[in-house]
Amino acid sequence: MVGASAGATGSLPRLARLPETGPSAPRVAPPALLEAAVVTHGLIAPEYWRLVLDAPAIARTVEPGQFAMLTVARGEESWPVLPRPMAIYGWDRAGGRIEIVYRVVGEGTRRLTRWSCGDRIVTVGPLGRGFVLLPAAQRIVLLGRGIGTCSLTALAGVAAARGIAVHALVSARHSDALVGGEAYRAAGAVEVREVVDTDGSSGVGPVGAWLAENCRTGVDQIYACGSDRLLRLALEMARATGTGVQVSLEAHMACGLGFCHGCATGHPGLVEESPLVCRDGPVFRHLPSAPVA
Amino acid sequence: MIAAPDLRVDLGDLPLRNPVMPASGCFGPELGDLIDINRLGAMVTKTVFAEPRSGNRAHRLAETYAGMLNSVGIPSRGARAFIAELLPRYRNWSPPLIVSIGGLTVGAYLEIAERLTRVAGIAAFEVNVSCPNLEAGGLEIGAEPQVVEAVVRGVKERVEVPVFVKLTPNVTSIAAIARAAETGGASAITAVNALMGMAVDWRTRRPRTGTAMAGFTGPAIKPVALRCVWQAAQAVAIPVIGVGGIATVDDVLEFILAGATAVQIGSATFTRPDTMVRIIAALEARLSDEGVVSVRELIGALRTDSPSATVPMQAG
Repeated sequence: MVGASAGATGSLPRLARLPETGPSAPRVAPPALLEAAVVTHGLIAPEYWRLVLDAPAIARTVEPGQFAMLTVARGEESWPVLPRPMAIYGWDRAGGRIEIVYRVVGEGTRRLTRWSCGDRIVTVGPLGRGFVLLPAAQRIVLLGRGIGTCSLTALAGVAAARGIAVHALVSARHSDALVGGEAYRAAGAVEVREVVDTDGSSGVGPVGAWLAENCRTGVDQIYACGSDRLLRLALEMARATGTGVQVSLEAHMACGLGFCHGCATGHPGLVEESPLVCRDGPVFRHLPSAPVA
Repeated sequence: MIAAPDLRVDLGDLPLRNPVMPASGCFGPELGDLIDINRLGAMVTKTVFAEPRSGNRAHRLAETYAGMLNSVGIPSRGARAFIAELLPRYRNWSPPLIVSIGGLTVGAYLEIAERLTRVAGIAAFEVNVSCPNLEAGGLEIGAEPQVVEAVVRGVKERVEVPVFVKLTPNVTSIAAIARAAETGGASAITAVNALMGMAVDWRTRRPRTGTAMAGFTGPAIKPVALRCVWQAAQAVAIPVIGVGGIATVDDVLEFILAGATAVQIGSATFTRPDTMVRIIAALEARLSDEGVVSVRELIGALRTDSPSATVPMQAG
């Protein structure tokens, strides 16, 4: 789950909802609507912004992989019409704050950058069904590219706190676009591998070799976001080793709740509508060869 | 103590406690987590088809200047799932439930009407005629007066609650279509559905929505919608429900003056999920400030006589 722009998902293998009940079901609390005050907002790298919101009702129940809808229109303005879905990067439950890292990709996110401390942003969250840590997990791999890493960072913290060894790959076009590495290290990840296109380290070859080496020594689950190429590598590994894969998808959204049907993962010709990214996801598990549990 | 203004309106035989309701497709039980649905004048479902349909492929949404495009394509889980799973969820709230129905042939409208007739908990139907007519080369069902009249008459014969008709603006004469709906037996007209629009990404050389053409909604279409409401209200004696780009209480008052008895809020609920309940509170306050006893006083009260008769010409 990442903000704003979306990649086509039509060519990906079939994805399914995470289970509704049991140890592999994500925890989902009802969302809240609030006018969240901006606590901190600033540029952290070229194009990348960090936003901290005072949002106790969201911070109280948010789980890794969930997102929030942020209204871009200010005050009494009635447009931009569509709010922007944003992965929740981190939170402070006791302090009632949530943290979002976003990339400026268009008019909506450009307007978001104008919010300053004390401004109140209409925010709905937590939304969607997030990542699930399996009860017996000892070692997990996180694969994130670009802004996609931002939906994985919180998972690293929760996993590390449970004693799970976290191996994280952070991929980006260039070193300025590497986000999340610091958050992973702070969360206690045992390995943070940062790779970029500019020196070839993010290529399928080296990343595939790194992933294979990790899986050879036993991985309980692979989590991916932000790159079809990384997801394909994960799925290859899943087929070879039986490791389960959870992936967070992105989509344009209008309601974020499930009634507008704007974010179906969408293949035409099916009688049944394909899953909605907001309501059924944004985190899906891969089918059929790699059940989560 | 001055009494609170009276917000009640009647859509034919259907009384509403206030004139504000959601537009079809922009509302669902999920909103109950965020707003008090019992405050609304009515609830309106997403369009239900007789049989399941999947809708269009991604991307289904695009932001445009002061508006948005959707190519959702009206996915529906069909009548059976609607009755068994969706309808019961609306019973948590008291406002009357208006069920939007659709079809791709005249017969399909009659089928969904038959399948939902006498189903408990439905206060009215809103016939969505902005669907492609597969019997007429994909032209919208709502583009031809005689087709609209036939659909409305057929639905009306099959159900026991009021039938509203939601008109498409993508026609030559909205008045002619409105009259056809009235002749067919409609209790009210909803004006209007989305305009047909399009957005292009020249860099990828592709449309920005999965289907090249998409429904254009939001504040940008308000003047068109207002004009359609005005024309429809002039053409028929039945009430008109105004919809299209309404985002504020001022917008609501403009539509009511132009002839709307009630209004629907669509895209503005996406911008802020509590738009409808905010507007209802603001409407009460605004009427109170203006000394208006009942919102019904304002319906169609637009003055179109020459203002120059009463306002002196400015010097210079």
